[in-house]
Amino acid sequence: MSPDPITLEIIAGTLQAISDEMFASIRKTAMSSIIYEVLDMGTAVTDGEGELASSGAGIPGFVGTLDKAVKAILAEHPEPGAIAPGDVFATNDPFFGGVTHLNDIVVVMPVFVDGSLIAWTANIAHHNDVGGLVPGSISGEARELFQEGLRIPAVKIIAAGEPIEPVFKLLAANTRLPEFLEGDLWACIAALRLGERRLGEVARKYGVETFEIAVRAHLEHGEAVSRRALAELPKGRFEFSEEQENGAVYKVVVEITEDEFVVDLRDNPDQDEGPYNSSYDGAEIAAQMIFKSATESDVVANAGTFRPLRVLTRPGSVFDAQLPAAFAIYSEVEIRLYDLIWRCLAEPLGRRLPAGGFTSVCGTFISGRHPDTGRHFTIVEPQLGGWGASDRADGNSALFSATHGDTFNCPAEIAEVRYGLLVDQLALNPQAGGEGAHRGGKGIVVDYRVREDGIFLTCAFTRYRNHPWAVDGGLEGGSNYVEVIRADGSREEFATVTGLPVNAGDVIRIHTANGAGYGDPKERPVEQIRADVELGYLSPERAVEVYGIDPAALPAEAR
Amino acid sequence: MTTRVATDVGGTFTDVVTLTIDPASERQEITIGKADTTPPDFERGVLAALAKREVALDRVDYLAHGSTIVINALTERKGVTTGLITTRGFRDSLEIARGNRPDFFNLHYVKPAPFVPRNLRREVGGRLGPDGHEREPLDLDGVPGIVDDFRAAGVEAIAVCLLHAYADPNHEARVVARVRELWPEVSVVASHQVTREWREYERTNTTVLSAYVQPVTAGYLGRLTDAVAGRGFAGRLLVMQSNCGVDSVERAREVPIAMVESGPASGILGAAELGRVIGEPNVLALDIGGTTAKCSLIEDGNVRIMTDYWIERSRESAGYPIMVPVVDLVEIGAGGGSIATVDDFGKLRVGPESAGADPGPAAYGRGGGNATTTDACLALGRINADYFCGGEIEADMDAVGAALDRLATSLGTDRQAAARGVVRLANHNMINALKLVSLNRGHDPRDFTLVAFGGGGGMHAVALAKELGMRRVIVPRAAEVFSAWGMLMGDLRRDFMRTSLLGLEPGNAERLDALLGDVAGEALGYFADEGVAADAVRIVRHGNLRYENQEHTVEVQLPDGPVGAAAVGEIEAAFHEEFERQYTYRLDVPIELVGVHLVAFGDVGRLEPAPLPEAGGSLADAHKGRREVDYADEGIHPADVYRGEDLGAGMSFRGPAIVETAGTTTVVHPGDEVSVDPWGNLVIAVAAPTEVER
Repeated sequence: MSPDPITLEIIAGTLQAISDEMFASIRKTAMSSIIYEVLDMGTAVTDGEGELASSGAGIPGFVGTLDKAVKAILAEHPEPGAIAPGDVFATNDPFFGGVTHLNDIVVVMPVFVDGSLIAWTANIAHHNDVGGLVPGSISGEARELFQEGLRIPAVKIIAAGEPIEPVFKLLAANTRLPEFLEGDLWACIAALRLGERRLGEVARKYGVETFEIAVRAHLEHGEAVSRRALAELPKGRFEFSEEQENGAVYKVVVEITEDEFVVDLRDNPDQDEGPYNSSYDGAEIAAQMIFKSATESDVVANAGTFRPLRVLTRPGSVFDAQLPAAFAIYSEVEIRLYDLIWRCLAEPLGRRLPAGGFTSVCGTFISGRHPDTGRHFTIVEPQLGGWGASDRADGNSALFSATHGDTFNCPAEIAEVRYGLLVDQLALNPQAGGEGAHRGGKGIVVDYRVREDGIFLTCAFTRYRNHPWAVDGGLEGGSNYVEVIRADGSREEFATVTGLPVNAGDVIRIHTANGAGYGDPKERPVEQIRADVELGYLSPERAVEVYGIDPAALPAEAR
Repeated sequence: MTTRVATDVGGTFTDVVTLTIDPASERQEITIGKADTTPPDFERGVLAALAKREVALDRVDYLAHGSTIVINALTERKGVTTGLITTRGFRDSLEIARGNRPDFFNLHYVKPAPFVPRNLRREVGGRLGPDGHEREPLDLDGVPGIVDDFRAAGVEAIAVCLLHAYADPNHEARVVARVRELWPEVSVVASHQVTREWREYERTNTTVLSAYVQPVTAGYLGRLTDAVAGRGFAGRLLVMQSNCGVDSVERAREVPIAMVESGPASGILGAAELGRVIGEPNVLALDIGGTTAKCSLIEDGNVRIMTDYWIERSRESAGYPIMVPVVDLVEIGAGGGSIATVDDFGKLRVGPESAGADPGPAAYGRGGGNATTTDACLALGRINADYFCGGEIEADMDAVGAALDRLATSLGTDRQAAARGVVRLANHNMINALKLVSLNRGHDPRDFTLVAFGGGGGMHAVALAKELGMRRVIVPRAAEVFSAWGMLMGDLRRDFMRTSLLGLEPGNAERLDALLGDVAGEALGYFADEGVAADAVRIVRHGNLRYENQEHTVEVQLPDGPVGAAAVGEIEAAFHEEFERQYTYRLDVPIELVGVHLVAFGDVGRLEPAPLPEAGGSLADAHKGRREVDYADEGIHPADVYRGEDLGAGMSFRGPAIVETAGTTTVVHPGDEVSVDPWGNLVIAVAAPTEVER
């Protein structure tokens, strides 16, 4: 007898609750702000074969990574008995299901009930340092994966509940911050075990057979949701190419048919000699993110959701890089691809998609000696920026980019204590740009005043020269970059830099772009233009110049 | 004769509970009553409810009051135009917020708008360091211009929040003084009056929201004070707070935001007090109303207090943080009025939308065409159709049938299966909420007693307890007004949080001791102002600790007495143990104290509820008959039906049974043993869980 639909739904709800619980647990216990605040981590439950059943993710960029790791671990351990109750496996390597870059360590744990493997719990988190060329392991100078740190090729780290000490020693010996690595890794392992216990309880309560039927039904539901939304999309073949700031030209062809959404990336440049590369899995994640947003953004995201999506790449290209390619800045490649597909579809999909935003992770890495404690500190943070306007609303100001989601910035009051820097300002970006019938949201300006000599800055921003793209007559947005204002008043400007020395009294000023506008600025209602001026989002001069407003119509104090 | 009264203003009704104690016989009498809530002049409803119970205010010693005025003013955006003064470089903090986007695949996400528009967010120069030392002197020169602009813009309340003011309030106090000098009539509040914890966005937003509701709340509390005084009340008027304590009207007027979750807090306080009276220190409290269910965990008689409370936060929205002490609770959209729907994919959903009081469930017969949890319970015989709402409303069973049939058609099933599905899903949602406050915090629900109250508590409690493996459920007497009863039991209570970063090591014992002394001094000073002598104040001290480099903390109770090296060792051991209990592992790295949390109780005459007088009648007198009840998972059984008001102490019976009072229905499953305790509470020993139907 097949289980009743309410039981199936209750089990599906429990899968989500378990992913969420694992997520909350890591957040509470992690040692690195990149995990507990930036939430550069994700959790998941997969079925026994590694099909994604539920995700608890802080960031969309990690939804759909963990199933790939589980599948790689299954492939690496085919012999009977190689996967046993209480085991934990780890990978961080894009060639072993690790998807992203070496900093992101995935740990997974099988769930056995009555001797059968019914599910896996998994999580991924960004670790501060896994060795390699530079502190923080992320260097714009890397030419090979081998320079980016320790590769963990889908190996067992805990056997039947017992940590394999030599492996832990190897991990600790290959990081500059062993106490962080250990603290964060145990936070992740504790969450796996929690999820494993919960899943076991559910499967035992309802029976393995019912549990497995429920998981299958849940995946089918995910697929049905996607297929229905797919049916509503305009069909056709759409192409777009865009020159990148390093001169490379990225191309995409999207073909939407009745039952497929194909992203063809085969005609793309050879892999980058530096760290601007993505694995095939990484390219698939970028496509999944925009696919999900363009079809049905809410409800579920599981393996079924992405069944109608197919991604084609050419091995050896930037979107399917092969050894010895470096991957440290994979996230900028991924987000550029995401933005490229988005832009390709913006016109054909009509009002579904907003205009372009600041759309760069704006990864910022600052490290050095804390002036008060003498201890080493590392900032690893993405930045907030302005999002594009849509046909129905102005863009949002100061949100993390598409790769990050329920991510939190670091409060100035905490940053000053934790890093020993002074935060002079955190403000909305006053730069012009992004005007339109609906205007783009505002980026930010944040100032870190350094108190100690010998601090190092690394950053990897895109959308510096190529600004956020507008739709339907709106104006393009602003620019992402870092300015270093030296104590003597001289200024330097960077979109990317590795290991720049910064000294006491220097200010690191981060600028992120305003999003692009949607629709002709001349169509913006006068009341809204007035309000923008009154609230200081728009200068009176720019209001006249771009919106063509009669100066007499401006608020009296602004004239 | 001693008389205590609690009034609780809810969305629909204003409840009143009175307790009189005859000093000669020590006999206690409790009466309950209600009147319609009367927005926006809520005090009229309060007076009407009191008048209905013929409460003579000139003989009342203690009047506790709870109201939803703060949360309503926030969610309905009915506060005043508010201005913000903050540190140079940070006026946009309120709008930038934390940059998070919970609905992360949604490209049309809308970020919550700040409560203060940008032109009313102004800055002053001057900076403090994290330890409170002055890094740059305060510059007040701009304040007159700001005040002029605020006046011109129609500002009625001003919030002041400066960076690192948690460490030293001096700069903020000077800004406030200057504002008052320039504009004595305006309402102004500084962040240090609201909270002494770090994180500037959260603190700024909390201060802004407090300012936003201050004139509205102060006006209401002033009218209420005058109204009861005009009727001869000369006792102590106390206002329910979100931290499960009551506080003076003066304090509530100054920092009204601390009342934001006072409604749920009073019920949870009631559960804790009930647990104390009957000797059940470990309680899971569950309050099921018409729209939501709220739950909280009480360990060793203590409610858990948090300061990371948010309003309007969901999977769709980042919401707004409120950094005041709020009882740690989980609230979900599941109650008697929760609407059941079938989505486009044929999946049943229950809540979070509610039919409210109007049109209400289909059974009200007011055109509410949607099936609700209440309708499903009627169809399954769990609620008595002939005694619906205590007989005040005639249940429109045709409408119930039609609503459930529509649901059944969409689901491709029959009416009964649809009704069972609604009840099972509602239960599932509540179980998840109960797990969030227990299992997810490292507590096994089987070690706790479920205390279920509110109009719907008894309806679901036993099923939930079974699912969680809990063996004991208590449905309190007068469960529908239990929140108001809780207020009667309230101590004056204030929670003092203070951020102060300190390595936990013997060498820092003196500094920790000084910090605790400083905060305790503040607590005693506060109670002295309330007229409570130092010897009537009880202080419980906690530390918020973490492993070095972590962010989130674990709260550990600190030993009493001066802190020396030995105490530091004790604290360290307690932290390791608590951390491991919550997170399954411990680390061998240094420990940091991030701040302290002192709970100060001011004794205003604690009550000991007396047992009920001997029951006059017998169980047979309470037995109303028998009816078929559908227990969903456990099938249909003929249940004995009892009139709750006629059950007396010491009576006992066995499920399947239903206990009906005018305000609640308690569903007792087959095999459960029910006894009525000396205070009139239903104590249910839950039978071992049965196999779930596959």
